[in-house]
Amino acid sequence: MISTPKTEQELFERAQSLAGLSLGELAQREGLAIPKDLKREKGWGGQLIEWCLGATAGSKPIQDFPELGIELKTIPIDNTGKPLESTYVCITPLTNIEGATWHTSNVYNKLSRVLWIPILAERQIPVDQRIVANPILWSPTAEQEQLLRSDWEELVEMISFGQIDQITARHGQVLQLRPKAANNKARTAAIGPNGQPIQTLPRGYYLRTRFTSALLRDYFQL
Amino acid sequence: MAIQILPAQLANQIAAGEVVERPASVVKELIENCLDAGATRIDIEIDKGGAKRILIRDNGSGIVKDELSLALSRHATSKIDSLDDLSAIATLGFRGEALASISSVSRLSLSSRTLEQEQAWQAQAAGRDMQVSLQPCAHPVGSSVEVLDLFFNTPARRKFLRTEKTEFSHIDELLKRLALSRFDVAVSLKHNGKLIRQYRISKELYKQLKRVSTVLGVPFTHHCLHLDNQHDQLRLHGWLGLPEVARAQNDQQYFYVNGRMMRDKLLQHAIRQAFAPYLGDDQHACYVLYLELPLDQVDVNVHPAKHEVRFHQARLVHDYIVQVLGSALSKIPQANQTAELYSHWTNETSDNDFSTPSVSHGYTATPAPRASSPTSVSTGGDNRHAYQSNLHRAEPPSVQELNANNQWLNTSASFTSNSASPAVKPAAESVLYPLHLEANGYLLARHQQQLVMIDVWASQQHLAFKQALEQWQQGLDSVPLLLPLKLNIEPDLLNLVKQQNDSLRRLGFSFNLVNKQQLIVAQVPKLFRKVDFALLIPSLLLAMSQLPDSEWQQPEALLSGLIKLQNKPNDFAWQQAVECCQGLQQIYADELPSTFWRLVDLSPCIAGFANE
Repeated sequence: MISTPKTEQELFERAQSLAGLSLGELAQREGLAIPKDLKREKGWGGQLIEWCLGATAGSKPIQDFPELGIELKTIPIDNTGKPLESTYVCITPLTNIEGATWHTSNVYNKLSRVLWIPILAERQIPVDQRIVANPILWSPTAEQEQLLRSDWEELVEMISFGQIDQITARHGQVLQLRPKAANNKARTAAIGPNGQPIQTLPRGYYLRTRFTSALLRDYFQL
Repeated sequence: MAIQILPAQLANQIAAGEVVERPASVVKELIENCLDAGATRIDIEIDKGGAKRILIRDNGSGIVKDELSLALSRHATSKIDSLDDLSAIATLGFRGEALASISSVSRLSLSSRTLEQEQAWQAQAAGRDMQVSLQPCAHPVGSSVEVLDLFFNTPARRKFLRTEKTEFSHIDELLKRLALSRFDVAVSLKHNGKLIRQYRISKELYKQLKRVSTVLGVPFTHHCLHLDNQHDQLRLHGWLGLPEVARAQNDQQYFYVNGRMMRDKLLQHAIRQAFAPYLGDDQHACYVLYLELPLDQVDVNVHPAKHEVRFHQARLVHDYIVQVLGSALSKIPQANQTAELYSHWTNETSDNDFSTPSVSHGYTATPAPRASSPTSVSTGGDNRHAYQSNLHRAEPPSVQELNANNQWLNTSASFTSNSASPAVKPAAESVLYPLHLEANGYLLARHQQQLVMIDVWASQQHLAFKQALEQWQQGLDSVPLLLPLKLNIEPDLLNLVKQQNDSLRRLGFSFNLVNKQQLIVAQVPKLFRKVDFALLIPSLLLAMSQLPDSEWQQPEALLSGLIKLQNKPNDFAWQQAVECCQGLQQIYADELPSTFWRLVDLSPCIAGFANE
């Protein structure tokens, strides 16, 4: 078990030291088995990085480094630096959201300080040869926060007005709400159009690639 | 057909289509006028369901003689006079359309007397242009409006009128709603000369409950909770019917926003949501609720009949209602006690997230906290006490929670798009104007009325050198590589990297040594972002190793070495050419150094024409 970093600087330096190495090299170094493909273990890459950096929270709804207030996010990218997928942020509560505010929301909490670790992970590259890129230690700029916040407020408003089933992935400029579940049988409680309790798919917040790609482009001057 | 301005009467009839649907809508508009005039007593007389005659008399402020004729014209009102007023409407009406619209589809007469006048006057509008005629009449202080033969001149509308009984029941229903909105006004209603309803002024809470009981029936008042909750500038109070008195129709739902009766989807959703755990799908809650909030937080200018409003903080209002009603309902004592339950508890104790008093707040100036209505009659004193003991919340919300909430309130309404993008200078203004780019990096440009050929590559290198030299003092701007570069390097060159780490850092490089042959390039100078560093770095290190020690302190040598090591690309983009021109012009305004440009001599071309 790798110790939890004590400071932001230590965490960042540790992340920098991973840059340029392949997932295979990292797994070997830590003595972990490498899956052939990630069909069944989609999050393996992210978990490996968490392990190497000493993250503690696992999949709990708190930050990965609660002591430092930092969330760890890996982004699969292609070789031009474009993200290949949208980035999962957190699950959204669908009930008991009365009076929810941006500053007390999970999304805000998770995205207030993020250690982004892009991974060169095009589909045709075998898992063990995927390469860890340079990390970014990031907090949203005022503009970025404004974008996130207005999307969040719009989505939460729709949820509390019972319009959850009208929300599609097309809502939100940078933050979208999509089903987040093992399969389409999963159900959770929500508020219906007449204020009655209904059952619906669990939803999670995702950052659009538009947002993450701009973030990478700005930082690496791509 | 030619375009023309519609005659006043026709325009008013069109407006009437929106607002005047049936006799009940006439009554609504007129009573709202009475209330806005400050009346404390309103008498209504209806003949034949209102189709024949509607008379409404109030004891309000009245209208002075000179303004009577204006009162009947469209877009004339005393209720607002500027756009600012529109954003904070305190009166029920404000459009200045009601009287003109009604008078365009009926025979309307308006009589009025103010306190100062000795005599009352009556106004009537008639004809295409709705000319108003005035005549003296007898009338106490206040106004009355008599509407005869509604829709006499719009037969299509008249066909939509239902039976006398139906139309009257609409009026009766409307009056119930109005009666519940103003307990301080007495209202009487006569139909065909017979007194049907009489609502007396009821200031005390138990008298108000009596009025509620005449409207919603006795069972409601025996199974209802009185609630009064204030959170910052939101206040929700009224009577909430317990699930036992839920109905199969939604006919006992009275909701008022700042005294205005609403049928708003958002509000209904919030109430249904609060009741959802207690009611079946086919049951409808009964309630009489009043929501009060600052006028500038609501927009009532949404619908002419004003059934809907827009809240500036829609979700906040929605969630507030859900929470207040939800927490009230969750405290209902279960099962058989309900018979005595008309003890009206006021939950002045802080019992949910929204009810913490006196936290200062930016939602405009906070008025003095409203005195919560006195806990009244309450037959079973002991009972009431027992309920109240459940009413306190474990602990008040933390200051942080509240602050966050307040912050949300303050800012979310005022998102402003910031900073317009800086104006782009039109290209024509620049003295050096790019015209045509040859693939191999030579640019034909116009410079002060002359044609010049510019070596883009040489200029780029020159510009980069100039820029790098400027940055040298604090070190060149450096950017991280997305993917760090792993390079195999000769051991002595790796030693050089170790020795000269400071200078390399100044150049904008950041290296991590992996082992004796490998190094990882993590950061590179921003100026040379696009270069292939896998090729450049080994040759840079080699060139540096041959440099005499003294030159390490000379930025010129290092920088020019670095710049010269870059390979000339095979082709250039137009954008690069444009940037190159801009760069040159910034530094050399009028006079270009001859190293990277040549004057294009056109005379051989021109001479060629002569030789033909």
